[in-house]
Amino acid sequence: MSLPPVLVARDLRKDYPMNGETVHALRGVSLVVQPGEYVAIAGPSGSGKSTLLQLIGGIDVPSGGSVELLGTRLDSLGDRELTRLRLTRLGFVFQRFHLLPVLTARENIELPMAEAGVPAPPRRTRALELLEYVGLRQRERHRATQLSGGEMQRVAIARALANRPAILLADEPTGELDAATGREILDLFRRVNHDGTTLLVVTHDERLAAEAGRVVHMLDGCIVADGSRPA
Amino acid sequence: MTGFGWGVRNLGRHPVRTALSLAGIAVAAAMLLDMVMLSGGIEKSFSDLLLARGYHIRITPKGTFPFDTEAAIPGATGVVRALRAEPGVAAAGAVLGTSVYGRAEDSLVTLVGYGVQPEAQGIYVVTGGSDLAPGDTLGVLLSEPAARLLGAGVGDTVVLAGRLDPQIAQARTDRRLTVRGTVRWIYDARGQASVGTVLPVMQRLDGTAADRASFLLVKAADDTAIEALTTRLRERFPDLAVNSVADLVVEAKRRLVYFTQLSYVLGGMSLVVAVLLVGTLLTITVNERLGEIATLRAIGVGRGTIVRQVLAEGLALTVVGGGVGILLGLGTAEYLDAILTSFPGLPQAFSFFVPRANTLAVAAVVLLLTGSLAGLYPAWLASKAPIAATLRAEAT
Amino acid sequence: MAALLQEPAPGATEIALERGLAERLGLEVGDTVRLGVAADSLRQIAIVAAVYEPRPDPAELSRLGRRLRMHLPDLAALLDAPDRVDRFGIGLVPGVDADSAAAVVNRYAIGFRAHPSAAIASESSQTFKVVSRFHRAIGFITIVASAVFLLCIMLLKVEERRMDAAVMRFVGVRRRTIFGALVLEAALVSVVGSVLGAGLAWLAGAATNTYYRRYFDTELIFSLITPRIVLFSVCLSLLLGLAAGAVAAWRLVRTPPLVLWGRA
Repeated sequence: MSLPPVLVARDLRKDYPMNGETVHALRGVSLVVQPGEYVAIAGPSGSGKSTLLQLIGGIDVPSGGSVELLGTRLDSLGDRELTRLRLTRLGFVFQRFHLLPVLTARENIELPMAEAGVPAPPRRTRALELLEYVGLRQRERHRATQLSGGEMQRVAIARALANRPAILLADEPTGELDAATGREILDLFRRVNHDGTTLLVVTHDERLAAEAGRVVHMLDGCIVADGSRPA
Repeated sequence: MTGFGWGVRNLGRHPVRTALSLAGIAVAAAMLLDMVMLSGGIEKSFSDLLLARGYHIRITPKGTFPFDTEAAIPGATGVVRALRAEPGVAAAGAVLGTSVYGRAEDSLVTLVGYGVQPEAQGIYVVTGGSDLAPGDTLGVLLSEPAARLLGAGVGDTVVLAGRLDPQIAQARTDRRLTVRGTVRWIYDARGQASVGTVLPVMQRLDGTAADRASFLLVKAADDTAIEALTTRLRERFPDLAVNSVADLVVEAKRRLVYFTQLSYVLGGMSLVVAVLLVGTLLTITVNERLGEIATLRAIGVGRGTIVRQVLAEGLALTVVGGGVGILLGLGTAEYLDAILTSFPGLPQAFSFFVPRANTLAVAAVVLLLTGSLAGLYPAWLASKAPIAATLRAEAT
Repeated sequence: MAALLQEPAPGATEIALERGLAERLGLEVGDTVRLGVAADSLRQIAIVAAVYEPRPDPAELSRLGRRLRMHLPDLAALLDAPDRVDRFGIGLVPGVDADSAAAVVNRYAIGFRAHPSAAIASESSQTFKVVSRFHRAIGFITIVASAVFLLCIMLLKVEERRMDAAVMRFVGVRRRTIFGALVLEAALVSVVGSVLGAGLAWLAGAATNTYYRRYFDTELIFSLITPRIVLFSVCLSLLLGLAAGAVAAWRLVRTPPLVLWGRA
């Protein structure tokens, strides 16, 4: 018996005002993602990739259409429930890492677990496990400002995995990194997906798109191609 | 890592900015503390002064307050006798205040003279030698300044003169007295040269020889029934002004109302400064960190946590700044008190700024509440930041 | 002690009442009262010949009692002290120095002292000198607090514009230009702020005078804003603003542009 999709997006539209005009960021996008998939959403700047990710992640509200995540329609949830969903079922990785500079690497990873009410001892244990997983165990006590770009992104990925999310959403995760460091992140994503986490990665990095099992191409707010890469 | 913990750590991001904000809050807190001390200090200090020897009630000529005028109570001895017989009165005594002259080598020096009833007096504390005995018509008590002026010590003889006759260039009344002791006159101004004798001696020196007193002191037998006793004495002696310590404190506050009002105005302004400083700092730092806040919201951190973090920063600023400010305030209070207590004629023991535990507590609580309130707007700002729009703006 | 009589009586003396006393007792010119030194001996009959406004005197502000005036012989008779006064007032012919005259009197006096009026004025002003010192101390503390506050705000405002400053440096704008612009802005804000503050002070002064004149029933001026005070305030604000702006601007321009941009 096959598992239900983790994501069903139907006819998503998103418009927002900018400088007195209306920008149609999404023009009726539909997407279904199965559990365990590694999906890359590729396209040029302004094609609506990040907007799509934000709608899927529940951090923005569509102008039309619906998103069903893990069997729950996001438009049926209030702000508090959405926040809880993001905390416990989703993981987010951003282009600019956005770690808290005043916290150490371990504390940044512990942050979502603390918010979820996980007690300190298991929280700490899990954070150290994740640091080990991303290869930064020795940087446990370093503050975010003391880490390199690649290290910060790995900590950000560890943070995103803290509450064992069903889906990891990444928005241009290698955008601020050099090629070699970007390679390390790609390897990490491969491992994360191999270990069972569904990945949805927005990128204009061809290498990253090539890593994914499925690439969705977007242009001008629409999906123009959606194909699985041969295994 | 709690919201409070990382809120506090955020203050370390910009050390110079934080240090300046703390300095500003410290000065505001110091001013607030001083004004709280001033607003209650007059009442506390004056009340302590009046109760220094345990006398709860003062009786003066109608329409006057102690040492306000030269008016006197006639038939003082009889009134005191009646008071002592009054139920509820533990002790009663009369005091006459007048000017006398002392011979210092070849000249006459002006002194403040007090005629007292040593068995029931409430205006001096013996600091050297011994007190006057009731009925001791040959003894005198000197303040330290008077002793220096007259060049006399315990056991020495001094000559006090009463009214002077300019036509014959001599004193009308003259008395040789032996110094029994040195005293601190509770209501004397700094450096005041005062002498004290038993009441009849000072009445003679005063020139009128009349049985009169400037005011009477009454000690209640029951601390809890002072107002009732005051009321009864008012009814018993309708031609005299009967005032409890509470009444006199009200009058003192009325005369010094300016300082009380100033304390409220300046205290209020200090709070406004503190609110503006904390509020502005937090608003600017929230605006700087909107991207970070949006990220936190995106990864599932609730609005409540964000709000707590911002409020915690404000609270941390207020606690640290306020703590320094309270220490600073104690120092500036001493400086300001030294200025105000140089008022001519003010009793030396009087203070405008009185540090008390409850005063410090009031200032601390008010400051903490203010610091918390100041963080409300920036906290609201932080919680309302639209996640997607902010992330979009950060990306450009 | 005074008691109002219904009809005038023979042998009445004349008295003049302070306005406040007349209002409190409900008396007018022509009313007759009885005077005495004790409540049970109101034996002297007097007619209110005048009601006068006392000269505003700060030293009399807290005085509760009100005064009446009568001819010296009448008061002496009332007090049963026919040849006694509390003080003499001496007018000197033009050209005579008051200090010298007082010294001459004191050389021969016994039982009293002569004081030049200026010395008495100075002595009785001690209370207000203390109040002035207190105000200056409060003013100094306020200036310190304002300076710290100003510096803090300037630092915050300048740091908000770090990105703009970085871009300007990238495109070749000199440090000097950025520094000058920020200092000028700080100076303008200081001047405008202090002018607004002077307006606020004028309003507060007017409110203070209105309130305390009513409270103490006097025409005294309690708060006075003079052009000199306004000029001092504006100059001091300008100085503090320039200093705060200069410190904040200097910190900004000495930071490398990449650091300002957030990439270093």
